[in-house]
Amino acid sequence: MTTDTDLERRYRRWLRWYPKAFRDQHESEVIEVLMASAREGQREPMLIECVDLISSAVRMRLRPSVPRSDQSTLTAVKVMFLGAALQLVTAGAIWRTMAAVKSNIVKRTPGLTKTQWHAVAVGQLEPVAVAASLAVGVWLWMAWANGRGHTWGRIVFAVFFGVNTLSLLNGLIHGSAIFAPTDLYAAVLLWLVELVALVTLLHEDVRRIIRRSRALAVR
Amino acid sequence: MQEASFLILTALAADSQHGYGIISDVIQISDGRVRLRAGTLYSALDRLRIDGLIDVDREEIVDNRLRRYYRLTPEGSNELATEAARIQSNAKSAFNRLGLEGGSVT
Repeated sequence: MTTDTDLERRYRRWLRWYPKAFRDQHESEVIEVLMASAREGQREPMLIECVDLISSAVRMRLRPSVPRSDQSTLTAVKVMFLGAALQLVTAGAIWRTMAAVKSNIVKRTPGLTKTQWHAVAVGQLEPVAVAASLAVGVWLWMAWANGRGHTWGRIVFAVFFGVNTLSLLNGLIHGSAIFAPTDLYAAVLLWLVELVALVTLLHEDVRRIIRRSRALAVR
Repeated sequence: MQEASFLILTALAADSQHGYGIISDVIQISDGRVRLRAGTLYSALDRLRIDGLIDVDREEIVDNRLRRYYRLTPEGSNELATEAARIQSNAKSAFNRLGLEGGSVT
């Protein structure tokens, strides 16, 4: 009996890898299965059981939890992963072309004083590069949140799209087409991917709203 | 559909079963080739439930532990039948090409 209790306690420790909501609902029955599958006199969870529990727990934490029937959300999540990969490439391109952009600015605006130059570098170029790097994390976070079916994920992604649209426009106004054409192409491509993700994510909601307003108008 | 999901749905096709019952049945269905671990089983059950292919049938308390029985939903039955037909059709094509129309391998 002591062996059983010890083994159960050890299994429970491994189950802490699972999301809390899953544990609240299923811990007792998973323990029942683990104990029923245990060998006579077994005192410790076997290595293969621990690996299985951890890998299943990680999979459960990361995979989308919206039903397969919600194809628009699942497609949007895939597009977001694509966005994260493109964002990573873009961030790399921005860091790599930073020196070229700086020399372009110096070449095309020779009258720039040291203070003005410092303001451009610190105020615009470096923040853009840092933001582009951080945005990789935002894409992945959004893919996770929307894959879990969180409503706030949709709102945050729409805000993210709005901020990036403004950032793209700001870049165009400040001459990114002249000083940093490679970065601009990457940013436009990324913006298009974002647009596709947003439309895919929200088109069902928008259709529902339109249907509802039409029904109200008919009444 | 992954093999684990297919075998779990097959195990639930005739009657509702609890976790350990499904594991034992899957061993039998696969002639001992597939032995599901608890983590894999509950990960698959969670996914199948989200997709509406299975549901909880009933719960029992045995030796102070919860035993939850799962059953196929009508969508689950349809999905299993579709997948079984697909596998059967592929297997038939393979046997035909091998000149084993009867489907027996010696």
